[in-house]
Amino acid sequence: MVPEEIIKKIWPKVRKKHLFPEIPNPKVSEGSENVALELKNKQITINAGFHDKIARKMDAEAVVEALLDHGISHYTFCPWDFHTHLRLFAEAKRVIKDKDRAKRAAGLFMDVVADTHCVKRKKTPLPELYKHIDKGKVDEVIASLYQRIWGVDLGAKEDEGVVRRLARIPYLDKKQWDKSIQKFSRVIKVLLEAEEEQDRQSGNQENPMGEHGLDGYTLEEIDQGLRDFANKDVGLKEFKETFEDFKEELKEAGYGMEGGMGRGEGSPLDADLIYYMKLAENYSVPIKKVPMEKRGHLNPHSHCPWEIGRPFQDVDVWTSFGKIMPGITQTWNKIEGSTFGEREAVPDCIIIIDSSGSMTNPRKNLSHAVLGAACASDAYLRNDAEVAVYNFSDAPMGGKAILDFTSERTKIYGILCKYFGGGTALNLNELDPLLKASEKPDIFIITDMKITNLGKVIGYLNTIDNRITAVYIGENTYALRFREAMEKKKNVSFYNVTKKEDIPKIVLGKIREYFQGDL
Amino acid sequence: MKNPFDDFKEHRMREREIPLDSIIESRDTVMSNIIKGYEKLLEEEVKELVWLVQYNTVIKAYTLAEKVVKEFDYRAEDIEEFCYELDSTDKIPYLITGPAGIYISTLCNYVKEEEIYLKLNDLKTQINLLGYRLPVGKKVIVEGNLGDFTGIGLEGGELVVEGNAKNYTGAGMKSGRIRVTKNIGLHTGEWMMGGEVFVGGRVRGMGKIVDGKVYEDNKLIYPRNYRQSNVYY
Repeated sequence: MVPEEIIKKIWPKVRKKHLFPEIPNPKVSEGSENVALELKNKQITINAGFHDKIARKMDAEAVVEALLDHGISHYTFCPWDFHTHLRLFAEAKRVIKDKDRAKRAAGLFMDVVADTHCVKRKKTPLPELYKHIDKGKVDEVIASLYQRIWGVDLGAKEDEGVVRRLARIPYLDKKQWDKSIQKFSRVIKVLLEAEEEQDRQSGNQENPMGEHGLDGYTLEEIDQGLRDFANKDVGLKEFKETFEDFKEELKEAGYGMEGGMGRGEGSPLDADLIYYMKLAENYSVPIKKVPMEKRGHLNPHSHCPWEIGRPFQDVDVWTSFGKIMPGITQTWNKIEGSTFGEREAVPDCIIIIDSSGSMTNPRKNLSHAVLGAACASDAYLRNDAEVAVYNFSDAPMGGKAILDFTSERTKIYGILCKYFGGGTALNLNELDPLLKASEKPDIFIITDMKITNLGKVIGYLNTIDNRITAVYIGENTYALRFREAMEKKKNVSFYNVTKKEDIPKIVLGKIREYFQGDL
Repeated sequence: MKNPFDDFKEHRMREREIPLDSIIESRDTVMSNIIKGYEKLLEEEVKELVWLVQYNTVIKAYTLAEKVVKEFDYRAEDIEEFCYELDSTDKIPYLITGPAGIYISTLCNYVKEEEIYLKLNDLKTQINLLGYRLPVGKKVIVEGNLGDFTGIGLEGGELVVEGNAKNYTGAGMKSGRIRVTKNIGLHTGEWMMGGEVFVGGRVRGMGKIVDGKVYEDNKLIYPRNYRQSNVYY
């Protein structure tokens, strides 16, 4: 029977055995006879060449069933999701140091866990498959391990010392996977080095049970995995390192590619940007909306003299003395405007971020300023508003980066993550064009307030009545001075951030009087 | 209407016993015994949470450790795992490197295997006093760096350190062999009575040696070209 027919016959049984996982019908392809299966976007594809080769040694149905058991167990138990995959890889890398070997170690570990789970909890012909599979040096060790921990004879030659160490690892205890993969990697590190050398000579580098790349995950799963990884497990440095290790594969998978068709290489994936993006996605900063409604029609705004050829309907009869005569008759100039109405909306926002020497370099350590600004920009973008960025260090001396109003997240993060590291001074004249470019935008300023021209900044902010959210990092006398000077302004809200948990407490555009109702 | 859960009625989670279960169970029991033994040693020896390396304190701690480790069976892999347990604070509340080193040495001296391989490269802390009183017929190979007092009082065994060792390595050793592939600290072989110390890299300073041999990069530096004690080279 050909594999397609076998799949048709046994798929319902296999699905039932694994409690009906949400996986599409498996496929068969004419692939390499050395690799059993491929997992792509939850799609299991069995290589016909491999099937035919093994089917000479064991029952053809059992071959397919074993391969499906193996593939499904990866989805239902280990790694389960991309976040776990990343975590396991990061732990393996910590021990092995080399990227490719760590990937191989993580893959082998996931195979051992998935297969052992399957053998213990399901009726599976997997052991028989391992008996007949062609094995390299490391595969032979893994087969010896299976022999030891499953209690079946797979005909593998045992390396007593190595197998005894590997057999002590609690593979099925999910809570211990981080430690377990470290132990696993410590033992097989030398074997992987030897295998690499052997493979280099023979040109064979394929895992018989398939590689564990990113193909198995959808872009949404990758996104979620990165978000969880940034939030739960690691700091900036380790995230960057792991991200760099997967960069090529992520690019191949199409992750982070914005826009649609076109030509050109595309922008490179920036690990720092992705880190802050993923971290910011875990926070939701609320924005207070303002009563603003864009009516979308023209309103009378000012007068101008009527000329022949201009429409009569715009004539203001009251100021024209009832006459239609050039020089006397006045017409209305009409403009479209936002007028305060019943509907509430979110205005655009100018983010002013300090990247002077006293601030944390966002590319070296977690910068609360960048994370705070990132959360703020996300909040405005989510509300269909646009964001402009003014990143400053010693702005009059050129330490600045300005981004006009945009809704492109990558561009915004690119400017937010810029670090100048010099002195701290704001060039207030440069804020005017931004303030004029949008309808009364909100201002979000995040700094440690150690600004050399703080007096001028306070004076400038006192002259405008836009909603201002001022966030200061850490406590110092400058922040106190700023706060005291601006305290009476009802359009300014202050927040202090000392740890990342303070960020969700920020309420953007909170005007005290808006709540107090004493307008 | 068909109950959607009908399909699961007949399903029973089939969990078969595999050898891994018993291996893990026995490993957990052994580790718990080893950890209890260490805690007992700390209780008796480190009441003030301070432990000074002195001749009598080392002997006293070792005697107690001997008594403790004789009470249970364990293997060489358990010793390595215990070293990593010491390094993390999950199960063991604190690591005091002196008694910990004595305890690990005792475990090595009384384990059934003759050759003990410890991969300690990933330890955050360096273990002191490892190899204390290693007897004839035992060989301990350590992958990674060790701390002070490595291989002191060696009694005929062989200690191989694939890395660096710190000060007082081989102090008071009676016989046997210490091989350090990289560098070694000050007071090397202090009051050494016999045996050999081979250092692949540099010996930072020699101790007052009574008898025995010290080699640096395959060249005999004691007794032939005797160097002044604790002189920096």
